[in-house]
Amino acid sequence: MKLSDVATRLDAKVLANAQSVPHIEVHQVYAGDNMSDMLNQVNGATLLVTNLCNTLMARFAELMDVPAICLVNGVAPRAELVSAAAEHGTVLLVSPVSLFETCGRLYQCLNHKTQKAP
Amino acid sequence: MSGGSYSIVGGDLKRAGTASRALKERLKRIGVEPQTVRRAMISAFEAEMNVVIHAHQGTMRFSIDPRQIDIEVSDKGPGIPDIALAMQEGYSTAPAYARELGFGAGMGLPNIKKNSDHLNIQSVVGEGTRLYVTILLKAQNDTIASKNSVHVAAEACRECLRCVRACPTRAIRVRRNTPEILDHLCIDCGACIEVCDTGALRLDGKSDIPKPSEDALLVIHPSFFVQFGAAVRPRDVFKALAHLGFYDVRLTDGWEHALREAVLDYAKQHERTRPVISPTCPAVVNLIEMRFPSLIPHLAPFLSPVEAVQHELAGDSNVFVAACPAQRTALLANQPPTPDEVVAPMSLRKAILRLETQEALGADATPRHPCETHADSRGILQVTGIPHVLRVLEHTENGLLRDVAVLHLCLCTQGCFGAPLSVEDPFVAQHRWGLAYDDLKSSGKAVPRKSPFSPRAGMRLDPDMAKAIAKLAQIDDLTRRLPGKDCGLCGAPTCSAFAEDVALRRAPQTACRCLGDQETKP
Repeated sequence: MKLSDVATRLDAKVLANAQSVPHIEVHQVYAGDNMSDMLNQVNGATLLVTNLCNTLMARFAELMDVPAICLVNGVAPRAELVSAAAEHGTVLLVSPVSLFETCGRLYQCLNHKTQKAP
Repeated sequence: MSGGSYSIVGGDLKRAGTASRALKERLKRIGVEPQTVRRAMISAFEAEMNVVIHAHQGTMRFSIDPRQIDIEVSDKGPGIPDIALAMQEGYSTAPAYARELGFGAGMGLPNIKKNSDHLNIQSVVGEGTRLYVTILLKAQNDTIASKNSVHVAAEACRECLRCVRACPTRAIRVRRNTPEILDHLCIDCGACIEVCDTGALRLDGKSDIPKPSEDALLVIHPSFFVQFGAAVRPRDVFKALAHLGFYDVRLTDGWEHALREAVLDYAKQHERTRPVISPTCPAVVNLIEMRFPSLIPHLAPFLSPVEAVQHELAGDSNVFVAACPAQRTALLANQPPTPDEVVAPMSLRKAILRLETQEALGADATPRHPCETHADSRGILQVTGIPHVLRVLEHTENGLLRDVAVLHLCLCTQGCFGAPLSVEDPFVAQHRWGLAYDDLKSSGKAVPRKSPFSPRAGMRLDPDMAKAIAKLAQIDDLTRRLPGKDCGLCGAPTCSAFAEDVALRRAPQTACRCLGDQETKP
């Protein structure tokens, strides 16, 4: 699924690296807030959905090759996180709705895609 | 070998992760595969964050060598009072702010353990903690990683150049009184050992025979029993082995027969890949992987007989007698948790000869696992001996052997009866075994292979394509100027091999005596 489709579907704001959004293909969505679990679950084609919005997230994405992070609840992350993400080439999205609802929409989005495919 | 050292400051979230990033950059630059980089990153990041969260100050040191990545993270901090407790999932002493960062779920150390091959923690309460994490690098190609089993004892070499000429893959050079084996070309056949009179080339490993434990089996090829001349019958050798403590002896011919049957069946099901090549000889498999990669689909996916025995006996620590270096390498590469001993037939032979002269043989001892005989050759083309095997493989590659169902190839003449480490003539040995065969037999079974056969990467002239092309031109040019006598005095088997050595800077051009003469002439 295209990240641009996801962003539209979620009505998300793109805070960093908007220019690469159309080119990113996401194969997996992982939602969580436990760093150890996230480390184990993500890969180079994961959209990470999390309510953690500290600067460390940019580093995390860089180390684990995560192409995009989606923050929730319409938060305004600190400028440091935005600039760090911009620097590492990680796309930073902010979904206006809660973690639960964001995941719900993403799930629908994925299901819709898979049903259409065959 | 590459390494680095980075300091970590406790509580500094801005710089947290920089040490891990430095490690990641190194790993990517040397081309470590992504899955391994990922494991290293998880371990390094967790360890680094532990220092940031719990300690005042720390250091991450790492070193990378071709086998493994070692990461050492040490800190000055509170230490861990109970390491066993800290290793439990869910146990955490992290402060509230760490939980806000996504840490503190008590998963850090268990996560490192899960993603590394070795983890050692040392901690002193009130002083600090030291973590040693090791991540093994996956070998790109197992056959190259396992190297070969030919041991070079340079001091014994007299520069006779026999090995240089005997090597079927031209993998040996003798320079400065030292035989050098080019690993990427060596197929572990042992042809060099066979012609080496000085002992400069021999089977790798210890030369003494292990003291057999209570229930240890001795696994051995029948050829061993006919290495003692006409007077000592195979039955006597069994007795002698029992005297040495090896009461239970398994002959590999039962497994050879089982493999033969299994490959015949396989060939019936795979008519299209005619001829099917039986993987009975590990040296032939090496040869195909190295020189005839296009024939890999023809190899029947089974373990070689000796590996099949090892697979079946897995769990006990047994003694294997390797008939050739390729067998030893294969056995050691498949090592199950309990290591088997792999010994050279020579050392066992010497021990038995000592016994024979003392005539101290005990009561009659027959093998414990006799079984019925099997001898047939339905549609199997059996080819033994290096020149014949090479020619047959070339024919197969050219599609000239469609009329053959199964190819049974052994690199040594008469199969393992002509193994480089045996002393009796291969034909005489096989004849004698034929005489003794009726009362000494074994049974076995074929074991399917789990790991696929894979082509072996040869050595590229240069990683940079442009430079590789330039070197190729240099080789062509030099080959034209060389006399083409293949005299071997430069230490390389042929003039073209020497030209390659010069282009790859393995040898100076002056090593060629003929070329020197020509160029000094007016």
